[in-house]
Amino acid sequence: MDPVLVAEDVEKAYGDVTALDGVSLSVGAGEVFALVGPNGAGKTTLVRCLTGTAEPDAGSVELLGESPRDARKQRVGLLPQAFSPPERLTARELVSYYAGLYDDAREPDAVLGEVGLDPAEDTWYGDLSGGQQRRACVAAALVNDPDVLFLDEPTTGVDPAGRRALWSLFESLADAGTTIMLTTHDMAEAARLADRVALLAAGEVAATGTPGELVAEYAGDARLVVDTDENPDLPSYDAERTEEGLVFHGVDPTSVGEIATALDDAGVDFGALSWREPTLEDAYMALAGDAERGEVAR
Amino acid sequence: MSRLDRIRAEATGAMRTFLRRRTAVFFTFFFPVVLIVIFAGLVRTQGGGGAGLFSEPTGYYLPAYLATVVLFTPLSRVGSEVARHREDNRFEKLATTPLTRAEWLAAHALVNVALIALASAVLVVALLLTGASFVLSPWLAFFVPVTSVLFCGIGAVLGSLAEGQDGAIAASNGIALPLLFLSETFVQPALFPEWFRPLLDLSPLVYFSRGVRAATYPEAVEAAGSSGVVATNAAVTLVLAVVAFAVGAALIPWTE
Repeated sequence: MDPVLVAEDVEKAYGDVTALDGVSLSVGAGEVFALVGPNGAGKTTLVRCLTGTAEPDAGSVELLGESPRDARKQRVGLLPQAFSPPERLTARELVSYYAGLYDDAREPDAVLGEVGLDPAEDTWYGDLSGGQQRRACVAAALVNDPDVLFLDEPTTGVDPAGRRALWSLFESLADAGTTIMLTTHDMAEAARLADRVALLAAGEVAATGTPGELVAEYAGDARLVVDTDENPDLPSYDAERTEEGLVFHGVDPTSVGEIATALDDAGVDFGALSWREPTLEDAYMALAGDAERGEVAR
Repeated sequence: MSRLDRIRAEATGAMRTFLRRRTAVFFTFFFPVVLIVIFAGLVRTQGGGGAGLFSEPTGYYLPAYLATVVLFTPLSRVGSEVARHREDNRFEKLATTPLTRAEWLAAHALVNVALIALASAVLVVALLLTGASFVLSPWLAFFVPVTSVLFCGIGAVLGSLAEGQDGAIAASNGIALPLLFLSETFVQPALFPEWFRPLLDLSPLVYFSRGVRAATYPEAVEAAGSSGVVATNAAVTLVLAVVAFAVGAALIPWTE
């Protein structure tokens, strides 16, 4: 896969605050790459360096094989974080306005239809709901039919149905070969959309891999959580008391009945039993915590 | 897609946005008219000699009334637009489109020129209704737009350097008010101490004031060398406008 986005040892500081501290990554053509990490981890700064709206203090970045500021704007789409376009343009006027800035743009009505905003296309941006506003901004990022699309928290404030509709849209764009750089706090979004995920913490890449690789490496085992205040001594099982309840690690689903019987036999008063597989969020929590403690081997 | 198409797209969006802010539209036109109503309509300055405020006939103050729109409107509008675009991450988005800083400023200058031309026309009609005597010189079609561009450039500088919209508006008002009275508009040079008068040349508005007065005030128009005064001040205004536009465009916080 040819890399369309490359960052090598990128450093960026704002005064005494280090935003990026030697970040390196490469994103291939047609790949969906998610950047996750706590607030202030440097995700937006990295996106800005990759789009050319910020200049790294050290290291190098490439967008479509060129310096980002020299890359063909026609091929790049951006949805910035905390982006607020003019409130007194209708959704259609807003998308038409951005379409008018490009050599070749898609029909605004078609793009609005794709993001599910066609019923509200004549409503002023300021009168749209928060989720509709974000969808209008997504439409503005898509109107030039970009080859590389930067989406900085694209579904913030969007309701679950709207979020799923946008996810489907992003998946169809990725299927058509669009490279997508996604930043998000939503691990379900990253797990569903991303081919690869990088966890950024304190300006450094703590881990990179496919969602499956990160889960396997960092998320721990499948677990059974028992809602009880008691701490029974069950010699055959490895249990741990956490904020969630009594947690049994490495439990196969077929073993849940055996553990319930063992709890009964021990006279434990318990409520719900919930079994779940490890998720990307578990990997994120483990990595973010380790990164804060400086324990992730890089 | 040509440069002109991009400027047209930006200008269309900016004009629509402005025209839908009713309060801003109202005060853009109301402010100069209220000045005329007070001073030309109620006070009715007809000139009586001396060197006091409003001691000249109303026509003498045409550059002053026009200055209220060519100065205040672009300074505050472009200044606050730049600050708003930065706060709302609109420049970050625009920096990834083919639009350039200069095209953005050109588009917003065009919008301001159109609004100011309209406001100036309203103002001239209002002055005529008061019975003021002045020449409707074609030079007005040069001075009004070029000076508007000049102050669009300065507005862009203020908006780029100010911390936010409030700061940009405060800075533009803080600069515009002294300029309005230190540019041979409402206050004649003779009212200032002699040592201060050369400093009036530092005001970019003073060349507008001198040029428009030389082109429109009957006494000045009839004076020998009037056309030379107009041309000289027009040339200085044009140079200042080009410099202000270039500096304003270069400072727009397109990228970090």
